[in-house]
Amino acid sequence: MIVETLQWLQGTALAVSISERWFPFVESVHVITMAMVAGTIFIVDTRLMGLTSRSLAFTYLSQRLLPWTWWAFGCSVLTGTLLFIANATGYYDNAPFRWKMLLMLLAGVNMLYFQLVTFRGVATWDSGNPPLPARTAGISSILLWSGVIGLGRWIGFTT
Amino acid sequence: MSLRAFGRWLESTSLSHLIQTTHGAIADIQVVHILALATLFALALNLSLRIAGRGLTQEPTSSLARRFVPAIWICLAILLLTGTLLIVAEPGRAIFNRVFYTKMCLVLVAVAFTFWLSFLARRRERRPTRLHAALAGAYMLLWISVIVAGRLIAYSV
Repeated sequence: MIVETLQWLQGTALAVSISERWFPFVESVHVITMAMVAGTIFIVDTRLMGLTSRSLAFTYLSQRLLPWTWWAFGCSVLTGTLLFIANATGYYDNAPFRWKMLLMLLAGVNMLYFQLVTFRGVATWDSGNPPLPARTAGISSILLWSGVIGLGRWIGFTT
Repeated sequence: MSLRAFGRWLESTSLSHLIQTTHGAIADIQVVHILALATLFALALNLSLRIAGRGLTQEPTSSLARRFVPAIWICLAILLLTGTLLIVAEPGRAIFNRVFYTKMCLVLVAVAFTFWLSFLARRRERRPTRLHAALAGAYMLLWISVIVAGRLIAYSV
């Protein structure tokens, strides 16, 4: 059922057009937006770890940077979906692609836990050194997003 | 020595052989290359926004530049090192490729821009002008072009 759906998807006019003509350009936009997602997250995460931007409050830094992250993430999901439908069955069977999706899910869980639990006490450390749970969320996020980028590159070597 | 002979010599070096024959080495070097580029891109974005009078406005432009510009140089050094390793591993992909030379020209202009913006940012605080905003926008467009050219190299071999 899944394979049939994917086969139908990659046979659509849009998928064929991307596959035959637009793939390099869509991929370029995907790389630019992923670079913006990961880069802005790294800046926020290193602040969360207490390593950089210590003169700025954590909430201020994240409020200024995260809108860029979310905007880029939206574009990245869109371009990623377009790339996926161009070779849906190939990516579905691809191990780095599956790992990439899993790491993105884990990065989302990490962010959600931070937002719902650790962030509640931000008033006590906003302008100072973040506590261990916040620093753990920061390093986990850096590792997970580095993994997402790395596996994204590996997809190109294994499809 | 002709370019073709230089490429053949580069490909025959032990370093080139080592990278070519180590499983996953080229992919892993590319991963480090992209991670450095992602970090540089976000740093450049923040520097540009601040020069244009937006972004992290609670911090003086000169202070932000003192923190971000050295980090940009570190990212550029990593990009240079990993980029060189990729050329050594697969000279044919780069040295006969027009898109590669386009990318290198764009990188040179971006480096010159980094020096200029760094100088501009460290001067006494002034109100950002339209020229500053235009320069900052051009700086980001340059890095976007570098990324696009980098990706298109693979399609023009």
